Amino acid sequence: MLLPISWLKTLTDLDVSIEAYIEDITMSGSKVEAVSLSGYDLEKIVAGRILSIEKHSNSDHLLIAKVDAGDGMLQIVTGAPNIYVGALVPIALDGGSVHGGQRIKKGKLRGEWSEGMMCSIDELGYTRQDYPEAPEDGIYIFPESCGLKPGDDAVSALMLKDETVEFEITSNRPDCNSIIGLARETAATYSKPLNLAKISLKEEAPGDIGGMISVEIMNPDLCPRYIARVVTNASIGPSPLWMRHRLSACGIRPINNIVDITNYVMLEYGQPMHAFDIDSISGRKIIIRTAHEGESFTTLDGASHTLDPSILVISDCDKAVAAAGVMGGENSKVTGNATAILFESANFNGTSIRLASKRLGLRTDASSRYEKGLDPNLALDAVNRAVQLVEELGCGKAVKGMVDCYPNRRDPLRISFLPEKINKLLGTDISAEDMIGFLERLEIRVEGAQALIPTFRADIETSADLAEEVARLYGYGNIPATLYAGSPSIGVKTRKQGIFDLIKAAAASLGYSEAMTYSFESPKVFDKLSIPGGDPRRNAVKILNPIGSDYSIMRTSMENSMLTSLSLNFSRRNDGVRLFEAAKIYIPKGLPLSELPDEVETLAIGSCGEGDFFELKGAVEEVLSSIGIIESEFSPIAPSHMHPGRCAEVSYKGSILGYLGEIHPQTAQRYSIDSRVMFASLNMDKMAEFANLRRAFKPLPKFPALQRDISVLARDDVSVGAMKSAIREKGGSCLEAVELFDVYKGKQIEDGFKSVAFSLSFRADDRTLKDEEVNIAMKSLLANLEEKLGARLRDK
Amino acid sequence: MKEKLESIRASALERLNRANDLKAIEELRLSLIGKKSELMGILKSLGALSPEERPAVGKMVNETSAFIEEKLSQAKQALILSAQNARLMSEAVDVTIPGKRRALGSRHPMQLALDEVTSVFLGMGYEIAEGPDIETDYYNFEALNIPANHPAKDEQDTFYVEGGFVLRTQTSSVQIRTMERKRPPIKIIAPGAVYRSDQVDATHSPSFHQLEALVVDHGITMGDLKGSLSAFIRQLFGSSTQVRFRPHHFPFTEPSAEMDASCFFCNGKGCRICKGSGWIEILGCGMVHPKVLQLAGIDPDEYTGFAFGVGVERIAMLRFDISDMRLLFENDIRFLNQF
Repeated sequence: MLLPISWLKTLTDLDVSIEAYIEDITMSGSKVEAVSLSGYDLEKIVAGRILSIEKHSNSDHLLIAKVDAGDGMLQIVTGAPNIYVGALVPIALDGGSVHGGQRIKKGKLRGEWSEGMMCSIDELGYTRQDYPEAPEDGIYIFPESCGLKPGDDAVSALMLKDETVEFEITSNRPDCNSIIGLARETAATYSKPLNLAKISLKEEAPGDIGGMISVEIMNPDLCPRYIARVVTNASIGPSPLWMRHRLSACGIRPINNIVDITNYVMLEYGQPMHAFDIDSISGRKIIIRTAHEGESFTTLDGASHTLDPSILVISDCDKAVAAAGVMGGENSKVTGNATAILFESANFNGTSIRLASKRLGLRTDASSRYEKGLDPNLALDAVNRAVQLVEELGCGKAVKGMVDCYPNRRDPLRISFLPEKINKLLGTDISAEDMIGFLERLEIRVEGAQALIPTFRADIETSADLAEEVARLYGYGNIPATLYAGSPSIGVKTRKQGIFDLIKAAAASLGYSEAMTYSFESPKVFDKLSIPGGDPRRNAVKILNPIGSDYSIMRTSMENSMLTSLSLNFSRRNDGVRLFEAAKIYIPKGLPLSELPDEVETLAIGSCGEGDFFELKGAVEEVLSSIGIIESEFSPIAPSHMHPGRCAEVSYKGSILGYLGEIHPQTAQRYSIDSRVMFASLNMDKMAEFANLRRAFKPLPKFPALQRDISVLARDDVSVGAMKSAIREKGGSCLEAVELFDVYKGKQIEDGFKSVAFSLSFRADDRTLKDEEVNIAMKSLLANLEEKLGARLRDK
Repeated sequence: MKEKLESIRASALERLNRANDLKAIEELRLSLIGKKSELMGILKSLGALSPEERPAVGKMVNETSAFIEEKLSQAKQALILSAQNARLMSEAVDVTIPGKRRALGSRHPMQLALDEVTSVFLGMGYEIAEGPDIETDYYNFEALNIPANHPAKDEQDTFYVEGGFVLRTQTSSVQIRTMERKRPPIKIIAPGAVYRSDQVDATHSPSFHQLEALVVDHGITMGDLKGSLSAFIRQLFGSSTQVRFRPHHFPFTEPSAEMDASCFFCNGKGCRICKGSGWIEILGCGMVHPKVLQLAGIDPDEYTGFAFGVGVERIAMLRFDISDMRLLFENDIRFLNQF
């Protein structure tokens, strides 16, 4: 909402600087978004009368004018063709400045002195839209009726200088979508009176409205009130400068006096109005009804619409003449030929207007006010004000009376006024008298233990609402800041939150940097990741109104998020790209969704151009061991988006935690990554379930260990994991550790075989082991290797 | 005899001066005080002396032997030291050559900001509560005093999903879930992702993170809200930070406020970051609306509470002077590794 300060000052006193006003009104609850100053760059511009015009002897197009600028005669050289002797024009004097701050200096133009500049409306910072009487090209010429004399200040005569404050109006305060509403807030802030215009009407037109128009409301729930007034002898033309100026300052384009009056009243009171050419109302009857299914209607912007019963219309006996509260119809708009005008000032249900406006794709100044819910009592003042303006501007004669359909009157709400409760909520000690004073400034009357809430403040319903009104005029800044001294509490993270922290810290300490991605993605990712049809991962939660199809489903896995991030880094030729992300995936329990989906906290680890399978596996093992998950199991799997020979499922105690491996080069290609990509995905919720954070000290060994290295020949398809298990199985109770230290293929090793070297360490808690004891264990585990896996000790 | 011993000493010193490696010193030792040395010869021939002379001569021989031994040992030590020195010098490195680093990964700036904010509130005794990203209309709107067709629903540009669910537009939904689960005293923070259908630009994102706080107990006042938030913001941005509370509107709080902090880039003088106002908008807050308490089954006549919600990305951007929100979601490693 835009508020010109000059307009505000007609309604209440304001004797502080604009800076102070912005600060004060913001702190009392009306938030200032921006301030624009217009005309502040205009200096020393006066009215001047042209006394003579001669041609410049050294130029074909320049003229030399002698001008009476009040304070002596000036010579001005100009190129403007539209001036004439006797014209009164704005003159920027020597040392003054025009729009943009451009300085005017006395100087010679082709040998002739020029002591100032005649100004066009553009040079004064405005356009012909603001000043339609200005010539299209040339110097602004004051109308003779303006009453200015040479030397008078042109800036104030043309009302060029103003400050306009833009407010952010919250949805609970539709009353502040008006000049009066903001003036009321201003007056309350400074404890000054609000001076509203007195409305008195002459009603000079013959006849009575009763014989001219009737109104019927078919849906009183959607239209609580409809007032009609009629003006005859209309003479349509431009409205006066002051009105046009105020409309422009508030961002509304002036059209003609009648339309301008409806807009002016809407700005002033916040009550949208509409004017119909009464001759277009067939049967002279206004019917407020819902549209017929398929009813066609053309709004006054020329757009045609097909309506349905969800849209409320204003209709005559034959046809719709307006989409209620949104826009009038082409068929009934006020043109230059109109002689009698019907003014509508109505109240509509906010939700209904909001839905209709959405349905029609039309958001207008009227609909955006109506949709927040307006006070039906506003309609009366507004319509009378409009008619008063018609009389004042002389653009018509008001017919006596009005038609006012208002089946259910809205009366002021009474709520309990409990000063003690208010103080208790605020933590203040404000006296009841002061509270009453604050509330009265806002036109809330207190009668005993009750507060009477004016109907334009539908947002005030409870004691807490009253507390806010009191607090904001008392000043939020004056409420003492205290620290809640209630029940003592200890802030601790839950076990799961603590475990997630450990996981993320471990991933970062392993050299992976934390990434953050959106949790919605494109349904195309399923094909991109070669996820087979029918795979449950394709069952994603769909967003009904996504910002684009690329963000239209909630992810069911982390692959796409990670690969997209890696891809960006690859395309930017970044080195050392190792990323991790801990985020949710969304798994519906069934589709269509009938209950909330599972949200599974998932850890994704990825790298490109960096590391290999075993580095990634090492990272996964370290992350797991950081939360006490040791000896997780890895078994080969081959999902279609992964390298068929380099992918493993990770499980622990029979439960799958996730998987890791190298991304299939075809998948990587689809993400435009021409490099090896490593990826792991782990279910953090499961990890937290198995995490073991208990730490207990184990005494350090007292006796030395015996070390035995073995080198075993095994077929290629025998896994190291299987060999380790076979060794452990028969290694006896003293076998402390089995470490792989080499896998070798090549010279001296038969094709189809590999040499695998382990370092075994044996130790007993209670004695120094003897060679013979270890020899027995070795013999037994070697036998087991051979028997189970056909692996035998390599010949020396 | 005395002269003889003197000359042995002198000759020993002279020969020692010429010995310049450990081998030469060892040879010298054998030749000067070894079994076959002249000195040992003298010692062996003591028997030929009279019993009166023997002790004096023996003593002189031993003294000479000890003297030579000492000098040999000193010379040996000196040689070892100088050899070691020479080796160390030859091992000198160029200390300006970069170290061998095992790079640590970095934490995301949003997460760093969130951790910082979280730890402030943990220190003030708040628990951490959680709730789902995909919410019911009831928890996201209705229970927060935003009934069907309320204009605030439009303001928040909600993403709807099938089945009548929404992507939560605010972490305030966790307030309700907490109040239903737990009786007062309640003192929680709830961090998490929220969603609004904004197009992506330098200051908007369709998904971002919020941290919500809720305190409900007997006698909680707006003064407590002011005090708690002031303490929080001073922990986060420094003890000289000023705060101000402006009236505002949220459907789920009454009275409602927005909190600004004095601009910490210009100390309130006015700059690009604060758009010249000297203040930076930090968060929205207020006293829990009595209707919200009531809907969650808490008697608003008995209990009061305050709540606030802060945008975590916004805090991160202020904290780390990040000018464009899109950088946070791009995951360019050159960006991430700056934190």
